[in-house]
Amino acid sequence: MFLVGSFFLFAAFLITTCIFVIFSKNPVNSVLFLVLAFLNSTFLFILIGAEFVGIILAIVYIGAVAILFLFVVMMLDIQITTLMFNIKRYVPLALLFAGIILAEIIYLTVFKTSKVNIDTFIRSKNNTEQIGDVLYTKYFIDFQLSGIVLLLAMIGAIVLTHVYRPTIKRQNIDSQNSTTAKDRVQLVKIKSGDGIKDD
Amino acid sequence: MTSLSFEITIGILKIFSFVVPVLVSVALLVYLERKVLGAVQLRKGPNVVGPFGILQSFADVIKLLTKENLLPSSSNKFLFIFAPMLTLILSLIAWAVIPISSTYVIANINIGILYLFAVSSFGVYGVIIAGWASNSKYPFLGALRSAAQMISYEVSIGFVIITVLICVGSLNLIEIVESQKNMWFAIPLLPMFVVFIISALAETNRLPFDLPEDEATLVAGFFTEYSSISFGLFFLAEYANMILMSSLTVILFLGGWYPPIDIFPLNAIPGIFWFIIKVFLILFVFLWVRATFPRYRYDQLMRLGWKIFLPLTLIWVVITSAFLFYFGLLPN
Repeated sequence: MFLVGSFFLFAAFLITTCIFVIFSKNPVNSVLFLVLAFLNSTFLFILIGAEFVGIILAIVYIGAVAILFLFVVMMLDIQITTLMFNIKRYVPLALLFAGIILAEIIYLTVFKTSKVNIDTFIRSKNNTEQIGDVLYTKYFIDFQLSGIVLLLAMIGAIVLTHVYRPTIKRQNIDSQNSTTAKDRVQLVKIKSGDGIKDD
Repeated sequence: MTSLSFEITIGILKIFSFVVPVLVSVALLVYLERKVLGAVQLRKGPNVVGPFGILQSFADVIKLLTKENLLPSSSNKFLFIFAPMLTLILSLIAWAVIPISSTYVIANINIGILYLFAVSSFGVYGVIIAGWASNSKYPFLGALRSAAQMISYEVSIGFVIITVLICVGSLNLIEIVESQKNMWFAIPLLPMFVVFIISALAETNRLPFDLPEDEATLVAGFFTEYSSISFGLFFLAEYANMILMSSLTVILFLGGWYPPIDIFPLNAIPGIFWFIIKVFLILFVFLWVRATFPRYRYDQLMRLGWKIFLPLTLIWVVITSAFLFYFGLLPN
């Protein structure tokens, strides 16, 4: 009763926030609603007992990805009217993706039900240990491959955006740290009335 | 029905038994900070309000409460008011999983450390929303600095936590503390302990890493436009976060509620006192560092995070796991 009630509560919140993500006039508000949507999906994961996946979703998507979105969107100076005008262009593509995902959900829930008794599966160990058990044994290759894909994406992004401009002045930290007082200050003893010789 | 309302009452009382001491110790921490800074700089510090000036923070709170709350006309009103509330809420909900002793905890969940990591990484939202909603130059610059800084140092904090988790074999905070019964992790993992304390300074925006609120260049950083109680909430949240990070340090490295050595006069003291003593020790280090070190330049801060801490912690994760594996010490 409590579980079902909370499921419908969080699911309703999730859908509402997703709608607000699309229809907010201000892109910053859109990103903040996106954060709320991620938070609600975290709650949904925790409700079905997958607390590890849920909290990892929160750490990665809310704690890192959405912050970078917000970071970028805040610095854009978008004309709100042009943004609303362009939405119609993306409708066919969006419907296509929605159709694919709907088909996947129907396939998974109707035609391919899980044979594992989830109750005994969850109780025997906590699900962090269970993920750890299969991640480095059964799915070792897949796991490492996805890691390499992410690494390549990261290096690619750096290579594409990093431009070395020789005109920019840079801090040379090593030379700054190895400097001593003798390199910067010279103590001179001067007789009174003599002045400093400029050589 | 009565049992449900009874449980709710007990839950609310439990929450109050954490929140009220935290807020009171924030007031005492502000007082302690001003006294420590005074002592370091050969001054007296606050000494007028109450005996030894101990009521100074409460006087400050009353002053903040009675002032007018200004809303900048060009700001985003809802987010402007929401940001300090969010910051304070996030710094308080983290206490739900902190075990003060083996029984004194609100929620003993089996992913406690991940929950804490998630909540502390959400903390940047309050800062970044405040900076954007103010619609003003200095808050915005402060928010950008804070976002970059907190994300950078979260990476090394994550690896430090992983190192500890490899030694424990559990994400449960109580089990993390109980595995330190014989030896605190601060001894075998000393470099990680140091990295964690420095990263905690950066994560809470404390000196020498307080660039988001650098008064020499940014007036007051992300809360430049805030006044009265909305400023007070930011202030409260910053100090509550300091206490939280200190508790996390104590849980991960200083053996939580265990005495240093398990002999008679020490282990007769209840664990909760050991926990509080250790937390205040770490907090004193925070204040000591503030009084001693000058502020970092921004490029130095980023260099320390990405070019020194990240490789160091990454290598240490490998070394620790290799050591544990080779000597067959891995848990489970």
